[in-house]
Amino acid sequence: MNKTLFNLLVFICFTTICKAQDFPFGRFTVDEMNQKTYPLDTSAHAFVLQEFGATRIDASDDGIKTYFKYHVRIKILDSKAFDKGTVTLAFYDDADTHDDIIDIKGATTYMDDNGSVKVAQLDASKIFTTTENKYWKQKKFALPNIRSGCIIEYTYTKVLQGFYRFPSWEFQDDIPKAYSEYQVHIPAFWTYNAMIRGALKLTKSKSEVEHECFSSRGSKCDCSFLSYGMADIPAFITEDYMTSSKNFLSAVYFNLEEWTNPYTGVKNKVTKDWKDIDYNLKHSEYFGSQIKKDLLKNYIAPVIAGKTDEMAKAVAIYSYIQKTIKWNSMYSRGSDGVRKALDSHTGNIADINLALVAALNSAGIKTEAVLLSTRQNGLINRLYPVESEFDYIIAKANIGDQSYLLDATDPMLPFGMLPLKCLNDQGRVMSLDKPSYWIDLVATQKKNTTSNLDLTLQPNGKLKGTISTYYTGYDAYEKRKAIKKFNTVDEYIENLDEKLGKVKILKSEILNLDSLNSPLGEKLEVEIDVFGSMNHDRFSFNPMLFDRYVSNPFKLAERSYPVDWGMPSNKRYILNMHLPDGYVIESSPQAVSIGLPNRGGQYLTDFTREGNNFTYSNVIQFNKSIYFPEEYPYLKELYNKIIASEKADIVFTKKK
Amino acid sequence: MNRVITVLLLLFSVSAADAQANYDVSLISKDLLPYASAVIRDQSVYTEVKDGATFYRIKTAVTVLNKNGDDIAHIVVFYDKSNVIKNIKGTVYNEFGKLSRKFGEKDFEDESAVNNFSLYEDSRVKHFIPSIGSYPYTIEYEYELKSKQTLNIRDWKPNPQNGLAVEKSTYTFACRPDFGIRYKEINMPAKVITGSTKEGLKTYTWQVNNLKAIRSEPYSPMAETYLSTVKIAPKDFFYGGINGSFTNWNELGRWSYDKLLANRQTLPPETIQYIKTLTAGITDAKLKAKKIYEYMQNKTHYISIQVGIGGYQPFLASEVDRLNYGDCKGLVNYTRALLKAADIDSWYCVVDAGSMKASMLPDFASMNQFNHVILCLPLKNDTTFLECTSQKIPFGFLSDFTDDRTVLACTPEGGIVMHTPKYTATQNLQNRKANFTIAADGELSGDMTTLYQGTQYDNPEALIGEPLTEQVKTLQKMYANISNLAVEKLELKQDKKEIPLATETVVLNAYDFASKDNNKLYFALNPVNKQRGIKEVRNRVNPVYINRGYTDEDEITYTLPTGYHADMEPLNINLKKPFGSFSVKVLINGNKLVYKRRVEIIDGTYSKDKYTDLVEFYQTIADADSYNVTLVKN
Repeated sequence: MNKTLFNLLVFICFTTICKAQDFPFGRFTVDEMNQKTYPLDTSAHAFVLQEFGATRIDASDDGIKTYFKYHVRIKILDSKAFDKGTVTLAFYDDADTHDDIIDIKGATTYMDDNGSVKVAQLDASKIFTTTENKYWKQKKFALPNIRSGCIIEYTYTKVLQGFYRFPSWEFQDDIPKAYSEYQVHIPAFWTYNAMIRGALKLTKSKSEVEHECFSSRGSKCDCSFLSYGMADIPAFITEDYMTSSKNFLSAVYFNLEEWTNPYTGVKNKVTKDWKDIDYNLKHSEYFGSQIKKDLLKNYIAPVIAGKTDEMAKAVAIYSYIQKTIKWNSMYSRGSDGVRKALDSHTGNIADINLALVAALNSAGIKTEAVLLSTRQNGLINRLYPVESEFDYIIAKANIGDQSYLLDATDPMLPFGMLPLKCLNDQGRVMSLDKPSYWIDLVATQKKNTTSNLDLTLQPNGKLKGTISTYYTGYDAYEKRKAIKKFNTVDEYIENLDEKLGKVKILKSEILNLDSLNSPLGEKLEVEIDVFGSMNHDRFSFNPMLFDRYVSNPFKLAERSYPVDWGMPSNKRYILNMHLPDGYVIESSPQAVSIGLPNRGGQYLTDFTREGNNFTYSNVIQFNKSIYFPEEYPYLKELYNKIIASEKADIVFTKKK
Repeated sequence: MNRVITVLLLLFSVSAADAQANYDVSLISKDLLPYASAVIRDQSVYTEVKDGATFYRIKTAVTVLNKNGDDIAHIVVFYDKSNVIKNIKGTVYNEFGKLSRKFGEKDFEDESAVNNFSLYEDSRVKHFIPSIGSYPYTIEYEYELKSKQTLNIRDWKPNPQNGLAVEKSTYTFACRPDFGIRYKEINMPAKVITGSTKEGLKTYTWQVNNLKAIRSEPYSPMAETYLSTVKIAPKDFFYGGINGSFTNWNELGRWSYDKLLANRQTLPPETIQYIKTLTAGITDAKLKAKKIYEYMQNKTHYISIQVGIGGYQPFLASEVDRLNYGDCKGLVNYTRALLKAADIDSWYCVVDAGSMKASMLPDFASMNQFNHVILCLPLKNDTTFLECTSQKIPFGFLSDFTDDRTVLACTPEGGIVMHTPKYTATQNLQNRKANFTIAADGELSGDMTTLYQGTQYDNPEALIGEPLTEQVKTLQKMYANISNLAVEKLELKQDKKEIPLATETVVLNAYDFASKDNNKLYFALNPVNKQRGIKEVRNRVNPVYINRGYTDEDEITYTLPTGYHADMEPLNINLKKPFGSFSVKVLINGNKLVYKRRVEIIDGTYSKDKYTDLVEFYQTIADADSYNVTLVKN
């Protein structure tokens, strides 16, 4: 990743005026009209001919606003890209903040039925505005006369109230771009940090000074004028098992560092250091006020009554919060009030986990809140602090010399386990009484499943015996969720029995379904119909009775981005089989032992026999959470070997 | 309005009495608990037609037994400009029926309910998840809804979803005695009871008690065929400023033609001239129509827009001509106009589209049985239907979206009930022939040609028009059981006939296809078309329903590596059942191993006890499909 930091103040010097221009609307060339493919990527269904964006901060009748102008021309090569002609533009509009999208203009240049070039303008009455919810509105329009080979073009200006939300710019998209340029005009009253992400190189990066570009009620200042250009940008192609594409897309982001009130001259530092954020959060209603000591003393008194051990108290409180507040599916890094959430039994992520922090602290257990960014939200930039990059809060409880990361928003999560979405690099521990610090967000447990099959071949040709499976870590969590999808355990078993065609479940037992901190057990007494009848002299038998790998999850020849599973995994399968007298094993699978480089994982199988009994074991282990593109070929090959090995049969024959 | 208020007041007093209802969970009959995540304790739906509008008053008490019932407790009410919600509120009770909290309109989230694919709709939704943090709990809620029309009266479905049992549910429809209605009872355990209110309104009342929760069963017919439903349609109605009247499909079709479709086909003279020139010299009407249809396909594309009279009226043809896009109504109306320019008559047909073959009720006409529009060409001795929303679909082919079902054609002579073509098990053919060579190191190489016909025509659609890099990714997923699949060459052909045919030819190789173990080579006999077993169902309730038939034929000739021979039991299965047949055969001749497989599935409804046979049938196929061949050194 290529991160570059610009401190914009540096660029303010006394040079020339530069007015780089947006390209003219409605211009096209005959060559563009005749183009049938995009030479740099012949697989493209469409590509951006030109894209231009410009942001400026300006005074208006009702305060300072940020104006973002966007203009694009897209060549539509075939009908698979017609959806590019239907445009949805979202903008924020709630009780306090009124953004808008203005000056929408669009046109399609196309060949008509007679082969002559025509231009169809977007009709203003065909631009629809919809209210999505109490925060968001949308402008939607469909460009007319879209046909293969046409060029669509549109432009609009987004007006953002204030200057805190400076628009970012994504150079890369799902279609390739011939050229994309973003220009920003920042009056010297404001200072933003700019950060460039992604692996692609800028082909243009310029900074100049514009004289007196900002003037309002007698206050004037110069602007820094920055342009970022990129040519020949490839399409971004997502891969399976990757984290947020945001982490890899080439883009430029801006964050406000400080500003001077143009009318009073008062300087406001917005965010410079973690200590500023620490201070702000500590004194905020949505964060610090919600985790004050003793806030929830009355709520938790009955929960911890009679408990003296800190760990026992912590587990009881965790379970109380899990059960009492139902997550309303909203992500958040601020609470509307933890008491309100407890009383109404519903709340967002911050409501629930800040309630947990407050409750644990109220019980005397030293607990801190941890801000993090979920996988889908992408990685946090580590160059300078930006509070708004976080979208999630968890709790860090310190008990004895151990600390536990807790998320009470999912009632199926055991104490001390984080959901996959939270396992994303690092989180920031906000401790209120000392400076905040980073902490690793890694899985403390694996995905772990062990199956033991003990089966006896009956004279009627059926296998009879037990299948005992134990799930721990993330596998236990997933399995519990799967069982709980049914109204009762009986309904789960009935469904399992129905699904396992040839397996008849005679008796079953599920262990520790609700004891989240213990391994989940599933014990089945079964009868399996594998051979149909015993009227054969020779049987071939595949020892992997369930979950055999038949296709490789990895198909690409090579990868650009890491495979990120979030956690290591371990799968063991052991089959003990007892044959009746009178049979001999003619052939058995070869033992396999293959490892990934750097102890990244292994695949092991073994076969041993003793008299009429044999044991087959199959172990698949992945020891890392993340595999980098250079490790990918080994990972893919390991799966090939698993598939190959699991094809091999055991053959046994009747003694003559 | 006065009378409505008194009715509502009356209902309020009734509900006040209801408020003492005991929602203690232990009072629910044990018979209602199996497969139930939630139980409707008491629901009443009161519908009244009055002053050109339809008023609904809905009151529901539902007990949520566990987390899976939360979705049922999630109160979701759709509305828009012509459907207005009023007085939404409710109460949450704990397990013992003790009041836990109350909620009102301010607790509801208000959001747009527009589909992502829609350019414009004014549909909105209010929703709220009541919660008390522990199970079970009961919520009781009520709201009123005013619909500013009387054409569509909502169906009553007392047990609309799986996992929901019903203790008691009642439906009352009230109207002036002279307001004529027709009603249809489907799977109703009890008949209607008629009566009248103090105000002199005529009432029709239905009630159901103790309906058990429905469990999802695979291969079930459409839910409409086994769920309890009451449908009501008015004789005289008011809709979007227009009055109308109908008692059968013919009259409804006539009204649609006269009021919604008439005078919307005018085209600019240039377009008419263009069409005339385009079709000049073609004498056959059907060929003319095909030319025009393909012109329309190239020129337009589908965008969903729900405006106009409640989403029933198409955009003007001239508008679609200018913008080159439209929704199904607009595109069908436009195609009709283009055909008219060449003096070809066609009919606008409403249909319930989707993969499941949903037909309208032959004996009960109502407006709310459709979701899509297609076009019918009533040529002499030949009726052709056209799907107008796709740029790619062949002329005269409907695919599995609108095949084999009744539709209503809206014509100047009124509505005509028609049936769209059925694609039979024989027509829906996938035929594959492969020649594979297995090398001593396990590598597979060879070529494979697959024909896809009828409703299987779309199977390789994802490959069409894509660059080779993307096609390879798709093929690796289509043939996922050939690990390490590398594609040397791919050819695709589409023959856009009325029963269309696509041909895919792949030249491929895959290293390590056969795996070595102890001097043996193992490989999957059928790596290209694997059937999985289906779930058994104990105590099945529904008949077995197979929605659409098809035939799959696979023939693979393997050339085995020299020095090896196959060590296998002979594989030769022939199964014939009413719902289908399966045969598989392996022939070994020298170093050639020929594998032949044929599966035919015949659509239809079969008695529920046939389900065990169906499970066994699929299991036999699945077992045969997972057969591994062992090659042993000579």
